[in-house]
Amino acid sequence: MPKRRDIIAIVLIVLPWTLLISVWHQSNITSVLAAQKGNTISSRSDSRALKESLSLQNRDSVHVVRTEYVYIRPPPWSETLPTLHIITPTYSRPVQKAELTRLANTLLHVTNLHWIVVEDSQRRTALVSRFLQETGLNFTHLNVETPLNYKTRGESRNTRVPRGTLQRNLALRWLRETYPVNFSKPGVVYFADDDNTYSLQLFEEMRSTKKVSVWPVAFVGGLRYESPKINALGKVYGWKTVFDPHRPFAIDMAGFAVNLSLILTKPQAYFKLRGVKGGYQESSLLKELVTLSELEPKASNCTKVLVWHTRTEKPVLVNEGKKGFTDSTVEI
Amino acid sequence: MSKRRDILAIVLIVLPWTLLITVWHQSAIAPLLAIRKACHHLVKEIFIIPERLAVHHHRLSDDGAEGKRETGGQDSKEYCASDKDIVEVVRTEYVYTRPPPWSDVLPTIHIITPTYSRPVQKAELIRIANTFLHVPNLHWIVIEDSQRRTPLVTSLLRETGLNYTHLNVETPKNFKMRGDTRDPRIPRGTMQRNLALRWLRETFKNNNSQPGIVYFADDDNSYSLELFEEMRSTRKVSVWPVAFVGGLRYESPKVNAAGKVYGWKAVFDPHRPFAIDMAGFAINLKLILSKPQAYFKLRGVKGGYQESSLLRELVTLNDLEPKAANCTKILVWHTRTEKPILVNEGKKGFTDPNIEV
Repeated sequence: MPKRRDIIAIVLIVLPWTLLISVWHQSNITSVLAAQKGNTISSRSDSRALKESLSLQNRDSVHVVRTEYVYIRPPPWSETLPTLHIITPTYSRPVQKAELTRLANTLLHVTNLHWIVVEDSQRRTALVSRFLQETGLNFTHLNVETPLNYKTRGESRNTRVPRGTLQRNLALRWLRETYPVNFSKPGVVYFADDDNTYSLQLFEEMRSTKKVSVWPVAFVGGLRYESPKINALGKVYGWKTVFDPHRPFAIDMAGFAVNLSLILTKPQAYFKLRGVKGGYQESSLLKELVTLSELEPKASNCTKVLVWHTRTEKPVLVNEGKKGFTDSTVEI
Repeated sequence: MSKRRDILAIVLIVLPWTLLITVWHQSAIAPLLAIRKACHHLVKEIFIIPERLAVHHHRLSDDGAEGKRETGGQDSKEYCASDKDIVEVVRTEYVYTRPPPWSDVLPTIHIITPTYSRPVQKAELIRIANTFLHVPNLHWIVIEDSQRRTPLVTSLLRETGLNYTHLNVETPKNFKMRGDTRDPRIPRGTMQRNLALRWLRETFKNNNSQPGIVYFADDDNSYSLELFEEMRSTRKVSVWPVAFVGGLRYESPKVNAAGKVYGWKAVFDPHRPFAIDMAGFAINLKLILSKPQAYFKLRGVKGGYQESSLLRELVTLNDLEPKAANCTKILVWHTRTEKPILVNEGKKGFTDPNIEV
């Protein structure tokens, strides 16, 4: 009799402790896994991992339910999605940080994004360096200064270089120097100016670009939007614009994306620096890369507007006076 | 001796079983019930998550009713055996184009945004929505200056996935801004902001224990994510610098060594009671509710005095809480967007008016 009692007592002791230990073990493993996933991404520490780990054992079945919501900004890297290489030229002016901040807030939602920021400056500035680090985005920070004689408005059109050209070309060169011609990881290149407005859907539309994809852009060419013309076969056959619709590619910088492999396999294709008429800059690159019939229309066959060519007013700083009223060490 | 052994055995038995029973009771009843149902309802039953998220997960398991998913980064393994045997559901859901989960402890930030129809409206709302989507416990109150809530704003708000309230009130035409300063005019957005304040007072009038912060965010400004975390700890009214207002790089409260606001660093009328921009302060919801007569003054308000007309009903200078490292950092910029050139539309319009811009 005492023997049976002892056995029962031992079972009643061992069983629950084993259960407790296995539950504790399991919940610890889950948190370690979540932490590991977090470590593979950049350092922004805004992760909220909400996880539940439940386990119930009864004699007939084991129910284990584990659902993990990982809200890390930026989102975790995916092995299968093509990387979006976003090229943003930027230059110092009062609204620069504000523009970059709100653009970054948009980009922080996009998976597999690589932001290439190219400053028009002699040296990479502290403002942009610090800013990029704090966003937590995956970025490359470059700079090249547009020579002053290229910038001046007084110059004739033939010698003027449209703003951002040298910077975009530097980014293209960086891509070609960084990745081999037969680079296996798929990528898409997009030129995103720092004052435009982008919907999150746009980035998903461009991800499936095979050669060059196109879509409408709002507030360009003096219109509500400019758009490619699509025929019944889903092919681009022209351009719905008022300003010079006979340009080879009557499209804004924000209206197309290029597959990375096309960039890499055509290393001579750059934006033309000089002698480019207004509105022909995009054509100067695209005509080296693709023909009209190869273009892939996105945004529901170019019927939706997913990007807006917004421009920001120059702020009125008249009350700073000659000497400056505000503390110049406070960064805006 | 055997008595001590008995006691020890009893403790060793009772303790873990008590623990197990409380854990099991707390966490296992609901999922146990859920497991009995189809697997794809699992998520909805277990976790109290905003409706939009729940619907999202519905899609994951083959329910194609909801709209398109914006990104493809899913990583879920799931199989549902019969509900008698082993049921293991391991689902890792990366949710990144939707707001973060609601927290029970963080105060809710009620963002009041007046808006009005113009070409850049949709662009402006989309880019601030992209910012707000990062902020937990955010409630966006959008008030249109219109006779009716427009389809553009209605669908935009729905598609963002944000927690929102959509209101509207039309500013009577003779009240809208005109060039002549002698005209009786209401600063833009006043009636809309006041409507939002009234809505808050009507909605939370009974027994509101939920902490909240009220912030006025215009649709063309630029906001850093840090700003929202700074304002969350507001007890009465908190303040911080704002860039590009008052003809300066920034205007800022003056903060003394004791961390108290004692003045305003502004060139334009620094002797206003509150020489601060709409984007430069936040108010604790309790204060809004406990002072129901405090509104923005509609008429007879000099330029730059609108903020004061509300704040002086709520708080004294001394009560103000400086944020942003004692008002030394810029976390919000009063940017303005250029009016786009639409000259090539001509008289009849060139582009398709059915395509929304």
